Amino acid sequence: MWRVLVVEDDPQMREFFSSSVSRCAELQLAASVGTVAQARAWLDANASTLDVLLTDLGLPDGSGLDIIGHAAQLNPACESLVISMFGDEANVLASIEAGALGYIHKDSTPGDIAQTILAMRAGASPISPMIARRVLMKYRADQSHKENKPAAPVAHAQVAMNNIASDDARKNEPGSLLSPREQDVLGLIARGFSYAEIARLQNLTVHTIQTHIKNLYAKLSVHSKSEAVFEATRMGLLKPND
Amino acid sequence: MTDIAGLLRRALLLAFGLVLACLGWLVQAQTIELRDAAATVTVQGQTTQQRVSLPYHWDRQHPGLAGTATFELPFILQEVPTELYALYLPRLGNVYEVWLNGALIQHNGDLQHGNGLDFAKAPRLIEISPDLLSTRNLLRIHIRTDVGRSGGLAPLTLGPDKLIYPVFLRAYLWRSMGALIIVVGSLLIGLVALTLWATQVDMSWPGQPQRDPLYLFAGVAELCWMVSVSDFITESPLLSWPWWGMVPVVMTSVWTCGVILFSVEVLGWSRRLLTAWLRRWLGFLVLACVAGAIASFAYGHPILLTIVYGFSGLTFAIVVVLAVHKAMVSGAVAHRMLALVLLLNTVVGCYDLYVMQLSSAYEDSTYLRYFSMLFGLTLFYIVITRFRAVSSQARDLSVNLAMRVAQKEQELAQAYQRMELLAREQERTGERTRILRDMHDGVGAHISTAIRQLESGRASSGEVLHTLRDSLDQLKLSIDAMNLPAGDITSLLANLRYRLEPRLKASDIELCWDVDLLEPLARLDDKAMRHLQFMVFEALSNAMQHAQARTLRIELHGTSKGGAQLLVVDDGCGFDPAQVKRRGLSSLGERAKAIDARLRITSAPGRTEVEIVLD
Repeated sequence: MWRVLVVEDDPQMREFFSSSVSRCAELQLAASVGTVAQARAWLDANASTLDVLLTDLGLPDGSGLDIIGHAAQLNPACESLVISMFGDEANVLASIEAGALGYIHKDSTPGDIAQTILAMRAGASPISPMIARRVLMKYRADQSHKENKPAAPVAHAQVAMNNIASDDARKNEPGSLLSPREQDVLGLIARGFSYAEIARLQNLTVHTIQTHIKNLYAKLSVHSKSEAVFEATRMGLLKPND
Repeated sequence: MTDIAGLLRRALLLAFGLVLACLGWLVQAQTIELRDAAATVTVQGQTTQQRVSLPYHWDRQHPGLAGTATFELPFILQEVPTELYALYLPRLGNVYEVWLNGALIQHNGDLQHGNGLDFAKAPRLIEISPDLLSTRNLLRIHIRTDVGRSGGLAPLTLGPDKLIYPVFLRAYLWRSMGALIIVVGSLLIGLVALTLWATQVDMSWPGQPQRDPLYLFAGVAELCWMVSVSDFITESPLLSWPWWGMVPVVMTSVWTCGVILFSVEVLGWSRRLLTAWLRRWLGFLVLACVAGAIASFAYGHPILLTIVYGFSGLTFAIVVVLAVHKAMVSGAVAHRMLALVLLLNTVVGCYDLYVMQLSSAYEDSTYLRYFSMLFGLTLFYIVITRFRAVSSQARDLSVNLAMRVAQKEQELAQAYQRMELLAREQERTGERTRILRDMHDGVGAHISTAIRQLESGRASSGEVLHTLRDSLDQLKLSIDAMNLPAGDITSLLANLRYRLEPRLKASDIELCWDVDLLEPLARLDDKAMRHLQFMVFEALSNAMQHAQARTLRIELHGTSKGGAQLLVVDDGCGFDPAQVKRRGLSSLGERAKAIDARLRITSAPGRTEVEIVLD
């Protein structure tokens, strides 16, 4: 039984998502709130008992991204999903970088909603071809960026990145954001192949692919932090070995 | 003024020399001036003997005749000198021999033949060993003179070499070296002036390029003057006498005309009618001078030349008066300078004329050659003033040009800014148009359909739901299209699949995905991508809604021409493309036309193909 917190400012939508969660036998609605402040207050008191955070992005007193960060800080085991109207590239990327593992469309059916949450708890992470393409592009840009940088700043950034990576992501290999296998998988997703088709093409199980993607999400979230550290170091806000 | 100062200076120098000489006389022996001679003169075969007082200016004594003469000058020394003596002969010739006490001490030229070399140009110094001298001595000088060649004998001075040599040296420097300097200076000035005339071409006038005649007149005048002055130091002329005698005369005449024309240019009268007549008159004077020179030198009739000289002098004098007047009226520095130089030359020329024609002096030098150099100075002043004016103009021009360039740059930047604003505005308008069209064709159409469905009451809630879902899907696709990389058909299809996945799942159709990774097609812009997205969406919608298909196949392959071939195949019931007039199908054709794609729809029960080929 997974405990779910729903954060949505529109009462009708909140009611829809709450009931969709409640209706599923394997899910339990922990609470449903309408603002960032309420969500923070609830998390401060009950974060340790929470398994899934389901949050809208545009809230009256702030962004759902802040709630995702807050939840991850209080309870790293808690997994977050974003409620999105369009699942558009900008919002989805921002959510992933904030630590979300996926998103649910507002027009999903109640069954879809429960299914997506359960699949995520089981290790699945949906990723759209456009996001996959964007991640690949970003990765390639970062690679060339690193290659063109003089040695010293790269070393500083590397140190900073490794520190964060070893603390937060645990599984991150130093020096490379994406493994060759992950790149292949992302490439096929970007070309529109389904997980099942990719599994067949790559001689993998669907579960392995899901794990790849989930790891990737974690890396992307870490990467966005290390980028911030790198920028901060470069601008002299942080000392290289802080 | 300057000539008076020059005379004063000369007088001072002479006085100084006299003081030196007096000192020399007090300390050592006195120098002796030899003026009285017994002359034996032979002219046209008749020999006469007479006592003469030097100078003996042959042309005055025997105008138009050549001849020979022997001068005997006895002199007594109180005691036989022991130091080196020297004899200074300011002028003698045209050829000569000098004998002392029966010994030939110097000779120049051939006494037997006339009209050859001319040695009556430079002063002479003969050093005399004391052995040759006794208390009673006889100096005998033979000369041969040509017609009108300034032959003769000037008074001689004898004395110790150390006293005589400085006197000789001064005369030599004045007469020979001075003339050489003038020759070189005139040559340089003339060449510079002619170079300026040849190179400073004014191309701003239509037709013939314009050269400044000022430089030409100055250049010709200076070169003629050079030839004329070179006669003072030329002992071996290029032509034999009397032909050579005409050269300096004609050259001087040309110089006079050149100086007058140069002055006219400087004073700014070059375009006056009178100047045209003056030019003709000067040309006539030069020709008359040639004729006069021939008459005078070849035939011994100097009257014509004298008349020509007279008219030339008169013309020069008139120009001088006019120039002085103009300089006083205009006050321009160049005019004043020219007027002053003309005046000086007139005064010096008159003095020279007096020396050469009227005074009894034979050895005296002339001064016009030095003062004529002042014309060159005037020319240089004019050239420098002109160049300064031109360079200042060029500077102004370049400053002006820089300012104008800066202004143009600013204007260009503003125009660019305006264009950029316009382009941005256009972009916004285009985007707005696109979104409006999307809303009209997509969401708007779907919502109005849903409303009609609800109003009619005949549609099931499932049908209305379908319409609304379609609407939302379209909206999502529309938003995705904003992020789709232009020309990337692979991404477009992948995204479409991702968006339609829930529907495919719901309709229970098996999807076969055979999509190659293609390079983006450069010719597909955002608008074309949106059209293509609509087309594929329509083809898929048709297959899912109406075909009752079990499998749906999507293929994307590259064509041999570097384009793309897109295929949507279903195994549904099919339709007759000619008969069925669904709205979506007709819009497929329109959009294909809009993006210049080939569209082929074939349908039969069990296999319907929609092919879109982009080359």
